[in-house]
Amino acid sequence: MVEAAVRVRDLTFSYGEKQAVAGVSIDVAPGEIVGFLGPNGAGKSTTIKMIIGQLRPQSGSIEIFGERMPRQRDDIQARMGVCFEEKNHYPAMSAAENLKFFGKLFGLRAVPVDALLDRVGLLDRRDERVAGFSKGMRQRLMIARAIINTPDLLVLDEPTDGLDPVSAIAVRELIQAEADRGAAVLLTTHDMHEADELSDRVAFINDGCILVTDTPEELKLQHGTRAVTIRRRDADGIAEDVLPLDDADTAGRLATALSDPHLLTVHTREATLEDVFVEYAGRGLAE
Amino acid sequence: MTTPVDTSPRGTASRRDSGVRPSSAAIIRAIVAKDAVAFRRNRFLMLITFLVLIVWALVYQFLPQTVDETFSVGVVVEQGALPAGIALDPAALAAQDDVGVAVSVYPDIGQLERAVGEGSDVAAGLRIPAGFAADVAAGQQATVSLVLPAGLPPQYRALLESSAAEIGYLLSGSPAPIDLATDTTIVGTDRVGDQISMAEQMRPLLLVVVLLVEVFALATLVAGEIAERTATAVLATPASPGDLIAAKMIFGTLLAFSEAVFLGILIGAFGTSPVLILVALFLGAVLVTGLGLLAGSFGRDFTDTLILGMLIMIPLMVPAIAALFPGSAPAWVTLLPTYGLVDVVVGASAGTLTWSAAAVPLLTLAGWGVALGLLGVVVLNRRVARL
Repeated sequence: MVEAAVRVRDLTFSYGEKQAVAGVSIDVAPGEIVGFLGPNGAGKSTTIKMIIGQLRPQSGSIEIFGERMPRQRDDIQARMGVCFEEKNHYPAMSAAENLKFFGKLFGLRAVPVDALLDRVGLLDRRDERVAGFSKGMRQRLMIARAIINTPDLLVLDEPTDGLDPVSAIAVRELIQAEADRGAAVLLTTHDMHEADELSDRVAFINDGCILVTDTPEELKLQHGTRAVTIRRRDADGIAEDVLPLDDADTAGRLATALSDPHLLTVHTREATLEDVFVEYAGRGLAE
Repeated sequence: MTTPVDTSPRGTASRRDSGVRPSSAAIIRAIVAKDAVAFRRNRFLMLITFLVLIVWALVYQFLPQTVDETFSVGVVVEQGALPAGIALDPAALAAQDDVGVAVSVYPDIGQLERAVGEGSDVAAGLRIPAGFAADVAAGQQATVSLVLPAGLPPQYRALLESSAAEIGYLLSGSPAPIDLATDTTIVGTDRVGDQISMAEQMRPLLLVVVLLVEVFALATLVAGEIAERTATAVLATPASPGDLIAAKMIFGTLLAFSEAVFLGILIGAFGTSPVLILVALFLGAVLVTGLGLLAGSFGRDFTDTLILGMLIMIPLMVPAIAALFPGSAPAWVTLLPTYGLVDVVVGASAGTLTWSAAAVPLLTLAGWGVALGLLGVVVLNRRVARL
């Protein structure tokens, strides 16, 4: 079994009376992408802040590459890349200057600025000040900054926020490439499609507690209704039938439907991650 | 148009480079260099720096570099006022530059009163009555009459009365029958009697203001770092909160110190004790850097920072303003953090302050610098931790 790059156990944190994180445990293996999903205020950001060393846990433990956070914070952070939700660049500096500065903080002797900017499609804007960048450009620069030190752990908070669909796809491919290289990736996102597509495993968090952790496929298979939706034309227009796959007579009804000359479309239907979350949390991710 | 993102593994640091924490010195150096760029590109900071350094230096050049504080007094010496064989010699009196008194002799009190009333020739008049010298010699009370213009402010009247007494003393050779209470604080070296030009008086104020302006500069940079959440990004790297704060302290101190030294050179502030003034300016720079960290930590935006900076600046300018009017400052001014700075700059500029005499104000200034510096560090550290 591969040793976990990130091993979090029983983390807790409260803001005064409000318990933000109540016993969170999660593992991320090298080369694995774990989607960390939950609605606003569920405890995602607080957990992430503790993992990247910005908050000290009130109890529980965080081990990253076998070292304790925050005790060995500086050593851990040298191997970590973080993409923040807020686009926290230095606006008076150019894209290249921002990357060079962060490269120096990581102790890089030579910062591959042009190659990084090329990877995120910003090479032609290398010398422009970030103050003039669009939200999407700032987000792409954020991704470039997060991978500047070839991190062994990549923590990404809403990495495709503000990106157009084409750029979002490209960033997802870049994240997958980082995982393929061997980086452990912890990803938070509101985009269920993105989580489903990228994540090897997802962890649902609600009210500061992890509800379930599993592969997206298993969660979708274990929850919701597996069914086939059949649409056909009849005298009143277009009719739709849903045939649950677990029903005994579905096979016969499906065969009949397939031989119907008025058949228009046949769709398979499975639970979405949103459905699974609602089943566990009793509310949607957007609520 | 959107450029597709390249997903190939190139464009990342070599494995050789990554994963090793750089030294704190390298991190601090990088943050200081970054702050220098941010400072240079901030129009507001560049504007106030330009105003303080260049415009103030130009203003200084137009200030009177010499002083003429000659006090014109008309005198009527009645027959028998002075001992036989002694006559008043206005030319001899005027030759005594350090006295700063011009004496004109009038034949009678009527002409003297007209001259004072017109206000063109003399500021005040003095009548030395017959028998004045004999009365003084006999130890009896002698009366000297003053002729003063109407509407003279009380402080000038007091000044004229003192001057008249001094002239009486000059004429008679006897001690002046006055007792000046001295329950006042002298900011800097007591230079009573010296001829101090306006330009020289302004030097401490200019130097203190250029230091205090850097409270704005550092506060703006720190507040920006917090508001833009760039401090969060820096702290997600191997840079520790200590590295970040040390860099701010170093940058703020270097900035304030170098600007104060630059202005000091432009206005010729270093006089005969340049090292003493440099030490005072350096400690002053540490002091304002601590204040800048405080203001920056509390300020949520530019306006907040500006208001906080002003609130800090105004009381700290008081000792420098008081130095413009020696003897005018109340005792509480000595408790202000910048008092030691002004005290040393004034004394060292005049060349009358020794290292031993400067030890107390310098140590006080250093104490304030360390205290406010530490307070700034603690507050900023707490602010950063709560981001």
